[in-house]
Amino acid sequence: MNTNSNLYTVIYTTIIVVVVAAVLAFVSQSLKSKQEANEKADTISQMLTAGGFGSKAEFQAMGNAKVLDTYGEQIAQAFTVNEKGEKVADLSLTDREVLSPKQLKAQNYKVKDGSGYAIPVFIFKNGITVVPVYGAGLWGPVWGYIAFESDGKTIHGAYFDHESETAGLGAKIKDDPDFQAEFVGELADFGNKNVFDIVKGGAPKDAEGKSIVDNKIDAITGATMTSKGLDAAIDTWLGAYAAYFGSAVKAEEEQL
Amino acid sequence: MKLKETILDPIFKSNPITVLVLGICSSLAVTVTMKGALVMALSVMVVTGISSLILSTLRNTIPGRVRIIVQLVVVALMVILVDQILKSFEATYPIDKQLSVYISLIITNCIVMGRIEAFALGNKPIPSLLDGLANGAGYGMILLIVAFFRELLGSGTLFGIQVLPAGYVTNNLVILPPFALILLGCIVWVQRSIQKDLQEK
Repeated sequence: MNTNSNLYTVIYTTIIVVVVAAVLAFVSQSLKSKQEANEKADTISQMLTAGGFGSKAEFQAMGNAKVLDTYGEQIAQAFTVNEKGEKVADLSLTDREVLSPKQLKAQNYKVKDGSGYAIPVFIFKNGITVVPVYGAGLWGPVWGYIAFESDGKTIHGAYFDHESETAGLGAKIKDDPDFQAEFVGELADFGNKNVFDIVKGGAPKDAEGKSIVDNKIDAITGATMTSKGLDAAIDTWLGAYAAYFGSAVKAEEEQL
Repeated sequence: MKLKETILDPIFKSNPITVLVLGICSSLAVTVTMKGALVMALSVMVVTGISSLILSTLRNTIPGRVRIIVQLVVVALMVILVDQILKSFEATYPIDKQLSVYISLIITNCIVMGRIEAFALGNKPIPSLLDGLANGAGYGMILLIVAFFRELLGSGTLFGIQVLPAGYVTNNLVILPPFALILLGCIVWVQRSIQKDLQEK
């Protein structure tokens, strides 16, 4: 048979591509539920890390089932809010319902438009509120979770993740605990358009060498674009939560 | 070529990294921890082995003009399968996340395409499978040697278990990719002083 004729070549490549596509589609479908379970446990462990319930490595060592259990024990309320800060829908606590990075991405378009979004709020039993942020880094999406104290502006902790930032530079938003620790104790300025800033020299110290509490932290050296992208992600998303945190704090003050 | 040579040559005498100098970039990137290096080594072994086997079986039917494209499709299929499987298990999910793009980048690893072009397309399926596996093993061996020193000196651990006493100050240079290149250079040096026929006059 002449394997170099045009017809043979076209038919051959077509068959190869169709077979490969069928195999991939089948494998992808059959492994989907397992992959989603892994992703969900990973997302929850990121939220728990931000909330200060343990370190990411500890949660990783625990295994998926225990991570879900810990979440179930600690969580008090989970729901989505809109641009007016009103509750849109409850997230199921028994199903450990969270928003995957893909779902956050879908919300991100609406958040950038400034309306029509339903973004999640997770309130834990110890009064800590965890909210996600999502945006574009240098090579791909960056996202993460920021935990607030019950006053609705003091940051209790943060954890960030990324898809493809440069290892050793931009990837530090995830890998460097010192960077994430910088957020602790700082304030988010919800009245301002720049809710939070990641800037060069953002961690000024007072005369006694203690870092000053403000809404700025130091950016990562050599990762300007990732730092800026994360800064924009935090500003847009926390801006979208401004109404919620405004009304949540007011409601608490009225109770007093 | 005899089967024994097919298996043993890629491990030492014609090692893909130290002699053929293929697959350097991934060996710099994924050798910070032993775990990552081991998963990467096994992935490359599976990908080179199985795609060599498939393409060697098909070798007489592949149209010459689209040879490379057919090879790429098969290699890409294997790489995506490996990536999907790693993502599905609880134990390998974090490692897959840590290796991130480097698993997908096995497609561009010169060892895979190089062995298919040089060996699988001209040999029977079983020797091709062995050649692929052996080359993957040769690559993996160097990866593990580099990772051993980098994890030991850079984090004081091996496979995540603390080995050096707690007082050990970790060396940050070792964590960075340049040190892997220096280490790789040392390995090439050792190999060339043992194997005299590799030395240039």
